[in-house]
Amino acid sequence: MSSSRLFRFPKPEWLNSPNTRTAGVYLAGALFSLGFFFFIDASTYSKSNKNGGDVHIKFVDWVPGICSALGMLVINSIEKTRLSADSYSYSGTGVAWKARLVLFLGFALMAGGLAGSVAVLVLKYIVPQYSFPTLYFGVANVIANGLIMLSSVVLWVSQNIEDDYTYNLAL
Amino acid sequence: MAAGLKTIIALSFVLAIGFLLVILSSALFQSYLTLLVVATYCIAPLPNWICGRCANPDDFMESAGSAIVDFGRFCTGFLVVMGVALPALLAHCGLIQIPAMVMSIIGGLLIYGTIISFTMFFQEEQDF
Repeated sequence: MSSSRLFRFPKPEWLNSPNTRTAGVYLAGALFSLGFFFFIDASTYSKSNKNGGDVHIKFVDWVPGICSALGMLVINSIEKTRLSADSYSYSGTGVAWKARLVLFLGFALMAGGLAGSVAVLVLKYIVPQYSFPTLYFGVANVIANGLIMLSSVVLWVSQNIEDDYTYNLAL
Repeated sequence: MAAGLKTIIALSFVLAIGFLLVILSSALFQSYLTLLVVATYCIAPLPNWICGRCANPDDFMESAGSAIVDFGRFCTGFLVVMGVALPALLAHCGLIQIPAMVMSIIGGLLIYGTIISFTMFFQEEQDF
């Protein structure tokens, strides 16, 4: 195992323990919640008495968040072992191809969500030159989508940790 | 006997202080929205318990079981952060005041810490 290493520094031992994996899943949930509540905070603030301006959060602001959450759902509901299924003879024809297609759709949805939130920030809030309490709606949207993406990355990485763990156990 | 009598007394004392803080934070400022924190922290360990029953932790090869456990953990992490984020949101939008926010966050963390400690003690007893 150590002879087929790619990098010069070895992988730290704690990365392979199941405790790290559990902590990673909890962290993913926490990051998703943080992003979600950033956006909920912005939309509540836009309807509350503190909002002086007449710009409110409409359905347009919700679309990137919905895309990101859908992309996260698609990415993390794929069975990870099917991605390299073509190397086994007993798997059906083209399973890995289909899995990669669905995975691509998920990543496209997620990247589209992040890019869409930046587009909403620029087109709806920066170009008309709003000052900060209104600009916060767009900024919170970008932060929310970035945190959902980060949460998805953490979930993906920690689920791959489990594969390494079971592999070591099987040998 | 990991959980002695002193531990149980101390934990219930902490739980009472937590509930006192949350109820004070709502009653002092005449705004009862902070009671949502108690509801959030009370249902936070529930997904973990339910999904832990659904999955069989003994078979390592079966990857279908661990997805449910992961989903439960994800929901628990979501709800724990929600317990902190909800008072901050309410305070930021002017629905409650800042001291109410601080009191309800501290009280909620005390309640959740009590629940988690109780679960840990009971699990330790089940092992033997």
